[in-house]
Amino acid sequence: MPRDRGWLGIAAVVAVGLVLSLALTERYHHRILTLVLLWATMGLAWNVISGYAGQISFGHQAFFGIGAYVTVLLAAKLHLTPWLGMLGGAGVAVLAAVLIGAPTFRLAGIYFGLATLAYPLIFRILMDFLGYQEVAIPMVRDHPVLFMQFEEPRTFDLLALALLAATLVLSRLIETSRLGYSLRAIKENEQAAEAMGVDAFRCKMAAYVLSAAPAALAGAIYAHAILFVVTPDGVFGVIAIVQTLTVCLVGGVGTLWGPVIGAAIMIPISEILDTTAGDRFPGIQGVVYGATLMAIMMWAPEGLFWRLRRRPASIARATPVATAPGTAEAPVTAPAAPGPVLLEVRGISKAFIGLQALSEVSFDVREGEILGIIGPNGAGKTTLFNVLNGFLLPDRGEVRWGGAPITGLQPHVVCRRGIGRTFQVVRFFPHLTVLENVLVGAFAHGAAPAAARERARASLGQVGLAGQADTLPAGLTTLELRLMELARGLATSPRLVLLDEPLAGLSADGVELMAVMIRRTRAAGVTVVIIEHTIQALVKLADRLVVLDHGRRLAEGAPGEVTRNPAVIEAYLGKRWLARHAPNHAATLQP
Amino acid sequence: MVASELGQYVATGLLVGGVYALMSIGLALIFGIMRVVNFAQGDFMMLGMYLTFYYAVALGIDPLLGALLSIPPFFVLGLLVHRAFLTRVTGGGDPNREMDAQLILTLGLSLVITNATTMILSPMPRAINAPYATRAFEVGPLLLNQARSYSFAIALLLAGAVYVFLTRTDLGKALRAAADDPEAAGYQGIDVRRMHGVAFGIGIALVAAAGGLLATYHPIEPNVAVNFIVLMFVAVVLGGLGSIPGAFVGGIVIGLVQSLTLLLLPLQLQNVGVFVAFLIVLYVRPQGLFGRRARSV
Amino acid sequence: MSRRPRSLALTLVLSLLAPMVAVPIAMAADDVKIALVAPLSGRWARQGQLKKMGAEMAIEEINSQGGIKALGGAKIVLREADAGDSVEKAVSAAQRVLTREKISAGIGSWLSSFTLGVTEVAERLQVPWLTLSYADNITERGFKYTFQSSPVSSLQAEQALALVVDIAKKNNRPLKKAALVGDNTAATVFFFKPLREKLLAAKGIELVADEVWTPPLADATSIVQKLRATQPDIVFYGATNFPDSIQVLQKVKEFNLKTTIQGVGAWLVTPEYVKAVGKENLEGIQTVVAAHPLKGQEALVKKFVQRTGEPFMTQDPLCTYAHVWLIKEAAEQAKSADPKAIRDALAKIDLTAGPAATTLHPGRIRFDDRGRRVGAIPIIVQWQNGEPHTVVPTAVATRPLATAK
Repeated sequence: MPRDRGWLGIAAVVAVGLVLSLALTERYHHRILTLVLLWATMGLAWNVISGYAGQISFGHQAFFGIGAYVTVLLAAKLHLTPWLGMLGGAGVAVLAAVLIGAPTFRLAGIYFGLATLAYPLIFRILMDFLGYQEVAIPMVRDHPVLFMQFEEPRTFDLLALALLAATLVLSRLIETSRLGYSLRAIKENEQAAEAMGVDAFRCKMAAYVLSAAPAALAGAIYAHAILFVVTPDGVFGVIAIVQTLTVCLVGGVGTLWGPVIGAAIMIPISEILDTTAGDRFPGIQGVVYGATLMAIMMWAPEGLFWRLRRRPASIARATPVATAPGTAEAPVTAPAAPGPVLLEVRGISKAFIGLQALSEVSFDVREGEILGIIGPNGAGKTTLFNVLNGFLLPDRGEVRWGGAPITGLQPHVVCRRGIGRTFQVVRFFPHLTVLENVLVGAFAHGAAPAAARERARASLGQVGLAGQADTLPAGLTTLELRLMELARGLATSPRLVLLDEPLAGLSADGVELMAVMIRRTRAAGVTVVIIEHTIQALVKLADRLVVLDHGRRLAEGAPGEVTRNPAVIEAYLGKRWLARHAPNHAATLQP
Repeated sequence: MVASELGQYVATGLLVGGVYALMSIGLALIFGIMRVVNFAQGDFMMLGMYLTFYYAVALGIDPLLGALLSIPPFFVLGLLVHRAFLTRVTGGGDPNREMDAQLILTLGLSLVITNATTMILSPMPRAINAPYATRAFEVGPLLLNQARSYSFAIALLLAGAVYVFLTRTDLGKALRAAADDPEAAGYQGIDVRRMHGVAFGIGIALVAAAGGLLATYHPIEPNVAVNFIVLMFVAVVLGGLGSIPGAFVGGIVIGLVQSLTLLLLPLQLQNVGVFVAFLIVLYVRPQGLFGRRARSV
Repeated sequence: MSRRPRSLALTLVLSLLAPMVAVPIAMAADDVKIALVAPLSGRWARQGQLKKMGAEMAIEEINSQGGIKALGGAKIVLREADAGDSVEKAVSAAQRVLTREKISAGIGSWLSSFTLGVTEVAERLQVPWLTLSYADNITERGFKYTFQSSPVSSLQAEQALALVVDIAKKNNRPLKKAALVGDNTAATVFFFKPLREKLLAAKGIELVADEVWTPPLADATSIVQKLRATQPDIVFYGATNFPDSIQVLQKVKEFNLKTTIQGVGAWLVTPEYVKAVGKENLEGIQTVVAAHPLKGQEALVKKFVQRTGEPFMTQDPLCTYAHVWLIKEAAEQAKSADPKAIRDALAKIDLTAGPAATTLHPGRIRFDDRGRRVGAIPIIVQWQNGEPHTVVPTAVATRPLATAK
């Protein structure tokens, strides 16, 4: 199982590091080894927030620099041993992460990256201004070890190796935990993640804080092993973030091994170049880093690790879904009389600039029913779902769930209250197995990975994908992807699930199968609300239909009634069609 | 604080803001039309400075003219760079990933340009020493450096030319169409990829010209970009990413902020004012002064 | 899935091999290697280049006179490393040059900030280091391997202030307002600190402008604007490199600012200024330095000028010349090229004759237990008619101090 391989791999890296540290004799070689280990650590730290969570930070050197400065200043001014000072540095870095993250995570996309740029620049200026433009590490002759001053360069290797090992362990723990899956979900599609119960803001903050501490510790060691004199440019400058980026991008983003591989390749190359050609060609390092970044972005943006890793043979083949309709399953019984009202939608109105998307929409959803919401394109169906889910705040109106108002609650809260959701466009995690794709939802009600896995497996079983659980989703058919999406929604153990166009683009057989799954879902006790814009599919599936047109509720009732309703026909096909094909009905319509 | 002293700070800020404005317009154009955040913008400016230096020292051409003469070669360079590098980077379909990927690509390009220039031309700073660089116009109690005044004027002219180009010419309108709705533009027969190349070329040409103007009074060295790239970003974000008039106003504002900060803070903290302004804009009004609606023009 | 540890191991093994490719440098076993870590590229390159010239001249003299006699005529070989334009680059250069081969002693790195970093490396690697840098803290760290031949910044500040106050009194124009204009590198910091904190106040002088920048200086306009607004009688000037400095001086000219400039450092006396600001505008500008050709050193200056084509000789080549000779003497006395032995010899040395001693005023070389040269006195140099001349101490001046203004 991949999990054990992960810990084995970490042990292997540590072993190789130990061997190298003991075997190398030249000071210069130890320096390279120390740098490799430190930048690998820095890369891993960056990876937590930028690789797993996808929030590309261009300012991680802020934490690196804070670690270096705090540690050295505490030693210089207060004679505090850097072994403790380091922890202080990490503490300040964590605090900084909270203060920087809080306002900055509200920014989307490129704005986040640009904002993170500003902080190290500000720190640089501040350090210069405060008179800390060069803080020398005070040499302590009587207790050098207490002050992290080693004659033997090997010791720095080992120190850096210990830090790398700890960061690898941290990364591995994150990867296999609820946080890790939540982060990857956020990276793929933050909205979908929220709908699966992930509190995106808290997860991002947690990741940021966890990524700040190793960076600060790396900075502290770097100052003692390499710099000797801490300058703003040396720790807050561009070269720190460039090396971090390069190491991760070359090696592979979003994986433990990426930064290690990237560091092992890039750092020796650049150091050797600098030593042999640096005097004659000052700047050769920069050219190499720059060219590498460009080459990676153009030809292998995911990094070497993902490139080299051959797809395992167990990629999903196009197998027919395990349970064809009508096989040995209990026949799907007709619904019992609909139960109490679960979801009340009252007078929802929502306007965007120049468009009234929803206008006084009201209806109820009863427990145990399959309710279809239909309407022509642009009718406001998805907007309605977004309001129900918590992605949009309605201008007027209220949504009540089990009697309690939920209007305006955040999506992940709505999810935890028991309303699940699927999305029309399935954004899956390409590097995770089908099971792991579903796992995010399974964490909605509990953090224990083992229990979550069970729930996820059960979910997959429910939709007939149990056989594909350990394959990669890249080979799944559209139908199978839809089923996986359904499984994701069900993994959150909802009482009601909102399905957004689950039948779109499927063949007749696919539609048939989906319908079976949906009925099975209802039979398992989950109320279903479906959006579709073709009536045909829903007519057989839904118990009741609500028709929206131009943001208004046009009709509500049993499928048979609704489809004969002239207003509905007109909405879909237009007045002229109606006049031509059903003149009697046309006459009854208001002008 | 005497009024004339305040006036001097305002005048200094305006003059330098004009050149920032020209630099920023290039960046805004590139972002507005192609949604690429060009980190290498400052380095192309640096190359523009060197070319103008070459014109002045080897060919005896006045740097103000040299700045304008930098426009054609850099336009071509922009087209080539776009074709060779930028078109090969996609984020796998996700616009956000694509923007991040482009940012990293241009970061790499920036490193290559800066360091290659250091290797080939040596990092020793150079200066053009035009006679008007060390003379000032006396306007009442104010001293307006002549080189900066000329640069300011030319920067304004060029900005105006860009505006006219984008609003009055067919090519300009095609550019804006490609920016507003690439798909629809495609249907209308506009080669969107070519438009992107043209936009990049113009953006680079403008910043190179700005560099040439800057070279009349600023030392020239390979690392000069680092001082200005962040200012450009701040100006562009302040004006509204993608808005050309916004970038222009942003540049002037940043010049003023930089100068007026010195009334409150010591010289070493001068840029803190700019960075703090940057953060405030990002947090409070990320769409900037001119919002996203006025995207291209 | 088993590919992962494998490809990982492969890449790690490759990185193991990579460092082994580091080029070993052929050494002649008898040579005594002296490292010179100085800025050879970037804005301080001129200073590094001048240092190198001084070192090369001394080495050529020593080798042509038979090398180090106590070591059987061993020749001196220079190993230079570029300190670049940042402390990290300087530290990295020192690491490189000191670990690549056996270095007996080192010189450098001109800028006090760089020297601070470089000596941290030298101390840890136990290689004796000679520097002309001024900052006080270079020899306040309890180091045993650092030897500072220049008078420290704080002493220079006292003496410079005393001199300018004296001149002002003689001209019947007492100083009332002073400005501090300079960068935040160590030498300037330690020069300005005592002025700012007590010395100016003690003389009743008001500090009206305190403009410090982090190099590189982007724009001198605001600095000179401030000076124009505050009208100081004297400006203590610590720009440390020509490109930064020239911006300020040209702006001063542009704004037609009339004030007295008292520099600190030898960067203010390189030939480039003549062309850049004009002889007339340089006239009378003074700077305090650690060394400058004194009365009686004309032959040395002539030799240097003929050899290098430089119009005149200044502190940088002079000090480095002295340092190389000093190392030679130490090696002779230690009868060894071992760095530790040379260090011990330097710590005990007491020279009153020979090129090293005669170059550095007042002519005797001894170091105290901090590594500071005992009796080091600042030299005041003044631009006169397009050339810098020693004017103080008057006993060794090559021209009298021009005080008219």
